[in-house]
Amino acid sequence: MINSYFYSGQIRRFLQQFIRVLSNFQVQIGPDRNGNTSLLQVPVFYGDASRQASQILRNNSESTLLGVPAMAVYITGFQYDRSRTQEPFHVSSTNVRERSYDPVTGELSSSQGDILTVERFMPVPYKLTLKCDIWTSNTEQKLQLLEQIAVLFNPSMEIQSSDNFIDWSSLSYITLTDTSFTSRSVPSGTDDQIDIAGLTFELPIWLNAPAKVKKMGVIQRIISSVWDDNGLLSNEVFDTGNSSPLSRQVITIMDYNIIYIGNTLQLIQSNNQNTFSPSGTAVEPTDKWKIGLARYGYESLRNGTSQIRLEQEGTTVVGTVAYHPTDDSLLLFTPLIDTLPANTLDPVTAIINPLTVSIDSALLNPVAGTRFLILQDIGYPGDEEGPVLWNRPGYPQLVASTNDIIEYDGTHWTVSFISSSVNTVQYVTNLRTMTQYKWKDQQWTKAVEGRYGAGAWTFVP
Amino acid sequence: MARLSLWKDGRHSNDYKFFDRRISEMFTIGGTGVLVHKYLGPLNQGVTNDATQPQYLNQSEQNIQDLLLLENRDRKYDTSVYSMRGMYQVSDNDFDLSQFGLFLQTGTLFMTFHINDMIETMGRRIMNGDVLELIHLTDYDSLDQSVPVALKRFFVVGDTSKASEGYSPTWWPHLWRCKINPMVDSQEYKDILTTLTISDADPTPLKDILSSYNKYIGINEAVLNQAEADVPQSGYSTEPLYTFDPSGETPNAKIKGYLTADGIPPNGLPVVSGISFPSNPAIGDYCLRLDYSPNRLFRYDGRRWAKIEDAQRTNITNGVDTNLTLRNSFINNTNIFVDRNDEVQPEKQNLNTILRPKADI
Repeated sequence: MINSYFYSGQIRRFLQQFIRVLSNFQVQIGPDRNGNTSLLQVPVFYGDASRQASQILRNNSESTLLGVPAMAVYITGFQYDRSRTQEPFHVSSTNVRERSYDPVTGELSSSQGDILTVERFMPVPYKLTLKCDIWTSNTEQKLQLLEQIAVLFNPSMEIQSSDNFIDWSSLSYITLTDTSFTSRSVPSGTDDQIDIAGLTFELPIWLNAPAKVKKMGVIQRIISSVWDDNGLLSNEVFDTGNSSPLSRQVITIMDYNIIYIGNTLQLIQSNNQNTFSPSGTAVEPTDKWKIGLARYGYESLRNGTSQIRLEQEGTTVVGTVAYHPTDDSLLLFTPLIDTLPANTLDPVTAIINPLTVSIDSALLNPVAGTRFLILQDIGYPGDEEGPVLWNRPGYPQLVASTNDIIEYDGTHWTVSFISSSVNTVQYVTNLRTMTQYKWKDQQWTKAVEGRYGAGAWTFVP
Repeated sequence: MARLSLWKDGRHSNDYKFFDRRISEMFTIGGTGVLVHKYLGPLNQGVTNDATQPQYLNQSEQNIQDLLLLENRDRKYDTSVYSMRGMYQVSDNDFDLSQFGLFLQTGTLFMTFHINDMIETMGRRIMNGDVLELIHLTDYDSLDQSVPVALKRFFVVGDTSKASEGYSPTWWPHLWRCKINPMVDSQEYKDILTTLTISDADPTPLKDILSSYNKYIGINEAVLNQAEADVPQSGYSTEPLYTFDPSGETPNAKIKGYLTADGIPPNGLPVVSGISFPSNPAIGDYCLRLDYSPNRLFRYDGRRWAKIEDAQRTNITNGVDTNLTLRNSFINNTNIFVDRNDEVQPEKQNLNTILRPKADI
């Protein structure tokens, strides 16, 4: 289907504005029988009317009287203006934020709407020549009108076809280039011509093709170093399989980090410009979430619906967010259970320090399957009198290291997870607090809580 | 016996009278009815300080209103209408489409009248400026059927002279030839068009029925309305644009551009307008001071009212009250002042009359 049509009435709008410029002029007539003078508005209209419309205006009657004075405006020239030619393939892009529109009230609200990118194609310069003919019934009328109109142009005046901030070609100017005092000759002889004064104007205008209006996308990640050692474009740039790019640098606005603690997300400016508390402790500068989101082009979030996604170890934790009721730098974060990392180990009953743990009946008489993640060593190799609590007669001494998980199998304690021998990432849930922990780099940390650097988190409005 | 001669040494002989009565009778028998609106001369212009536009003490068609431009603009017509008979050659009419509408290309007619009847009826010969109504051209079927009356057809006398065909064998003229053109709705004929009404019961002036003026004014208004809708004010509107401010407070600046300042706070936020600042403002409040010219928009930042912008945008239609352009402040200036004699004087005065003595009464 051919879809090459466009028309926005650009010349038509300039013509309307030109008529506006010449409108509302008046001539003084009188005094009348009562000694009163009056002002008569001079109508301005398009001078190249169709014959039918003109006959309608005459009421299809020869008796209709045409009104005098009157001004008629029409186009006498429309030429390409070679002197104003600029790079014909230039495309100008500009980004704008709209105010949102309330369809109920039909008015603009004070909140942000879409963020748009507008691409404008180089307009084409033209020179428009316009003529204004002034028909008067006597010379005094003509002098009155010319005196008023002539002071408008010294030699030009501005004219606009629209007040749209994005319309880069709406502004032009009218220059009075020529005048003709009368259409009649002196002496007039036997002719009964009507007396017409003529004013000629020039308008340099630009004609535009339609613009492209796009919803602006925010670049959140830029992969740099796309070249390999040989100076060639690295295949890994395109390869999203197992390998990673040789060099990858994540750049985000303000280099924002997130600290996930408890059920809150705190926005941190990670620009190494710490401030200091009164006690001298370095305090990382926080930022308000509304400001941070606005920098990414979002006016606001929808409480309980908007999401933040935290990426780590190849998995993505997704949770809904809501504004914290009292702290602008915090969001309340509710992770979706299904997106939390799956446990790779059976859950532990609790985390204990075997050297300080309170001994109670549950510890003295554990049920089978009881598992503890321990924070201190229990026993050591060659120890013949190990802790009574962890040993049962007839069974080998329990020797466990910090970060191991021990398990009671119904008869005695054994080491279920030997931390020193595991180098892969493991996940386990503490049944006492229902907190998930992650084993990585020879230490336990909370599985999803912690700091998420630039590029490791995403906001979904 | 004297030689037979119809020329009687300059006397209007009985032969002349015989011919004249027969010719008059021909007009009575075959002429068409014409109503003549007799031109009486320019209207009283009142006291003027212009020697070229004097005030005449007598009402006479011999007066000329403007002795410089030699024209009579404000014409007075007799309220009595003179009924006469005239003759002319009916011809086909073509319309000439001009920039000002349709003109009758062959609208000019040459009409003859009987001189003595004319003088007897209206006291003088028909002259330039007299207006004729040709009754038989009255239009009963105009396009607009709501028009309450038939449309009368008016002509204006453009030139007059003795008709060549109006000389009898006595060599005395009997006919007056008038070159008549279609009348227009102009200042010159305002006295007729506003004095005549549709009927005694309906005081609507004939001008409102016959003239196309109101239609063209309506057309002009429609174009103006659309032009004002396209460009309500000079410059550019930033009202649909959102101003982002990273501080989280109300924005302390607006989007900059050529003639974008309109005195409206960014993002359409509330503003208090007045001639003083409001008491107990909150940080980020806006105030538009109307006592500044142009009006100035301020924002309270906790310590002071900081200027945001001066409202520059204005309606650019000629003559409207909301047009605040520099030019308009000179031309559509209704300001006054009181001088030391407690006389009210207008600010708007023509340069050539400033500082001149003015009449006390």
